[in-house]
Amino acid sequence: MSDPLIALFADVLEVDAASLNDDSSPDTVEQWDSLAAMHLVAGIEEKFETQLSTKEIMKMSSIGLARTALKDKGIDV
Amino acid sequence: MSKTYSIGLAGSFTVDPLTRFLSKDLTAKEFKKPAFYVAPYNQLNQLSLNPENLLGAPTDILIVLLRIEDITPDPLDTVQTTTDIDGAISAIATLRENYKGTIIVSNLPYPSTPEFDVHDLEQPETGLALYQSYLSRWNEGLKNIQGLKHFNLAGLLNDEGHKNSHDARSWYLYKQPYSINFWKNISEQLTRIIAAQTIAAKKCIVLDCDNTLWGGIIGEDGLGGIEIGQDFPGKAFTDFQKYCLRLRNKGLFLAVASKNNEEDVFEVFDKHDALVLKRDHISSWQVHWNSKVDSLQAIADELNIGTDALVFVDDNPKEITEVQERLPEVECFLVPEELAYFPSLLQNTGLFDIAELTNEDKKRADMMMAETKRKGAATKMSEEEFRKSLELKIDIFEAEEQHIGRVTQLINKTNQFNVTTIRRTQDEIEALSADPNTLVMGMDIKDRFGEYGLVGVAIIQKENPDMWNIDSFMMSCRVLGRGAETSFLNKIAEAVQTKGGKILKGRYIETKKNGLVRTLFPDHNFTANADEWFCNIEDIKPAPEEVEITLRLSE
Repeated sequence: MSDPLIALFADVLEVDAASLNDDSSPDTVEQWDSLAAMHLVAGIEEKFETQLSTKEIMKMSSIGLARTALKDKGIDV
Repeated sequence: MSKTYSIGLAGSFTVDPLTRFLSKDLTAKEFKKPAFYVAPYNQLNQLSLNPENLLGAPTDILIVLLRIEDITPDPLDTVQTTTDIDGAISAIATLRENYKGTIIVSNLPYPSTPEFDVHDLEQPETGLALYQSYLSRWNEGLKNIQGLKHFNLAGLLNDEGHKNSHDARSWYLYKQPYSINFWKNISEQLTRIIAAQTIAAKKCIVLDCDNTLWGGIIGEDGLGGIEIGQDFPGKAFTDFQKYCLRLRNKGLFLAVASKNNEEDVFEVFDKHDALVLKRDHISSWQVHWNSKVDSLQAIADELNIGTDALVFVDDNPKEITEVQERLPEVECFLVPEELAYFPSLLQNTGLFDIAELTNEDKKRADMMMAETKRKGAATKMSEEEFRKSLELKIDIFEAEEQHIGRVTQLINKTNQFNVTTIRRTQDEIEALSADPNTLVMGMDIKDRFGEYGLVGVAIIQKENPDMWNIDSFMMSCRVLGRGAETSFLNKIAEAVQTKGGKILKGRYIETKKNGLVRTLFPDHNFTANADEWFCNIEDIKPAPEEVEITLRLSE
């Protein structure tokens, strides 16, 4: 089973899922720009049926931090 | 647009999200993937002074999206806002002077600031009235700037709704006001604007009769039994006919393909008062019991267009399937079971987008009526006699500003009588017509039945002092068989001669559709050398004598 969060990031960022891990961030992934960030938000909201606040969005500066933020909302990822 | 091209994006807010969607939408329309260059947001003045510098590269198309609340600090302050709107208008004018490519500019959507909240009970007197005055000021101002393509952002936002279009989070995080969904809408609309410049639009709507133009079956229900008029469901058919008539007035042909007895169908057209479409609105009739595929082919032949220019509407899924299988290039629409949706069936399909509608377009369907009469005359005489009887007058001239729209249209939609099929945008044509070493020529034809308008275009470029190259040469197929191409070539030769040229060079680039002009050059005494054709100006086949031809050249 592939990790659904990694799969989502790979899909939106158009990169190989194997190249991503919880430490991946805008600093390590070239495609992760502010535009991609918007699409990531939309993608997460759709896939996990949730709404992200600006505070949560701002905290998601790596895949691991996104995972933490979602877990804090009671979403198991 | 087959060549590589690039798109510049600028806005009073962050417009980066467009790149992803435009790239997808344009490639889906068989455009090559464009390169994008995005200007920093809300820098309209700097952009207008030096677009290439701000975008980081020269681009072919520049898209500018603007909002009132970004270009002025307080949209309720009428004086300041008016000044700032005027400033933006003059920046667009400066941009037009400094930018060579195609500019697509948005109008101003209704502001999203709290002062303009639509739930405020005083809105109609304050915010709405102010907004309307701003919008009309903007429209008036842009009207005076030539050569802009307009994008109705305000209308699109109305259609989608304010709430659905905005995402306050991304506004605060990224200075980007719109929801992902609304960006998709923007991208679709812009793609249509871009595509309309280069892709040949559909030219004819072929309509079935029973349960398509009216409810019921004429052969069974009779004139009194069919449904059409002001009461539903008849009203749905009436409204659909109205929309078809609107498209006809825009320059499309309407045709009828119906499995019926001809006299039954004509009886409805002649006697039923509620019919919006009259007999004269239909340019081609195929009423018999043969297949719809045969009918569509016959209609395309009669109108001198390809079957790929046809749209077919029928209530019978079997007919639709058969056409889709045998003529996949025809765009087919099935009358929906829910008739309330029928009148809007052809709306927002993007099929009838035409970059610039010209007067010729609007007259085109009317001219077909005259054409039917001309054909009647043609059958009984020799070609020469026919031409003589037509009292043909051919006027050939160097294209000027007022012709550019129509010239661009012919260049982009002429498929059959076209030797090179090189497509070009309006801006490219404008640049060519300003070039002293290029002749952009147009041909106007009229005869005793009426005016055809501008039906021929040629672009001739100087290669060296003696030799001029026929880069493009095309004619509308409606004027075939009148010696027009010979007249046109002769006057081109004459024009080249006045510029000191002695030899004409031509090239035939074969496509699936232009077999008609394969022998154009040898037929006019050109001789071949490799894949090019050459002719001394004095050796060119002379123009037919019975035609009155004039040539006008600009200074």
